[in-house]
Amino acid sequence: MILHTLNRSPTESRVYRQALAAMGPDDRLLLIEDGVQGALPSLVRHFGDVSGRVFALREDLEARGLAGRCDATVLVVDADGFVTLTEEADKTVSWF
Amino acid sequence: MASAEIYRYLELQERQVPLDPEGFLIHLDDWSPEVAEALAAEEARTLTEEHWEVIEVLRDFYARYEASPAMRPLVKAVGQALGPEKGKSLHLMRLFPDSPAKVGARLAGLPKPANCL
Amino acid sequence: MQDDTTKASSQVLVILRHGPHGSSWLREGLDAALVAAAFGREVTLLFYGEGVTALVEGQGAGPLGQKGTQPTLEMLAMYDIETLLVDQQALDERGLAASDLLLPVTPLAPSQLAATLAEHELVLNF
Repeated sequence: MILHTLNRSPTESRVYRQALAAMGPDDRLLLIEDGVQGALPSLVRHFGDVSGRVFALREDLEARGLAGRCDATVLVVDADGFVTLTEEADKTVSWF
Repeated sequence: MASAEIYRYLELQERQVPLDPEGFLIHLDDWSPEVAEALAAEEARTLTEEHWEVIEVLRDFYARYEASPAMRPLVKAVGQALGPEKGKSLHLMRLFPDSPAKVGARLAGLPKPANCL
Repeated sequence: MQDDTTKASSQVLVILRHGPHGSSWLREGLDAALVAAAFGREVTLLFYGEGVTALVEGQGAGPLGQKGTQPTLEMLAMYDIETLLVDQQALDERGLAASDLLLPVTPLAPSQLAATLAEHELVLNF
């Protein structure tokens, strides 16, 4: 299992499509930095193909005032959760 | 590319050639066989025919790829140009002790290899 | 089988997602690949998305004299970097064919991407 991190918003960059195309059936996607914009209910549809495997970093959500506005399907993790996700993965690939 | 910082000059018969702190040429165009001889003499190295043929391989490599080779590609390039007997790290270590890629690049008037081992 | 495992575990996949000149990402990715190869790692390159334009034949130096990447691409073989995968879909989108490229490549279908990432021990994205 690969942990993919994405730090760009789906409205600003098409890189999320490259990340999705490269994801295997068990891979996970963690939204960080501007990437957490994708956790909003109006944008989360971009990640429909990997629903249930989409995580967002709490610290980045909070910093943007988005912590309470996340879609219910997105799994919110804090920095410790990020570490756990990294440990559970064979490797990490970052998309930026 | 070569460092822009002039650290010292290599004294030749009729001119002075600026060098960086590690003895690489500041201006790659300054190179000539005479420069290679002088650089080698500073380190008490004597250039034989076997040294010169490797220096030529290094200069060809740079002309073609615009980069100085690390050890592995240098071994490969020497093997391709001079035959498998010479395309061995042992041969290059004997000719340019310590670090063939780095020492060879310096004598051949190339920039310091970016990732020399 | 053990040998295969050992071999795979030393493999590095470098993903190149940018073309020449627009940014330094292509050059940085190639530099990373060369360093890994110089240290004895087996390196695979994946030209992905816009990255496929890095291989287009006939490119040169930039208008402001920026160094071209073609000599570096041609040098890859000297570092034993022989496996060049290209994103077939990105080629198609740009109306390019493998014959338009300056090095022999292996086209990769979208369905093969995930497996390619999975089978390399380390993936570096540029």
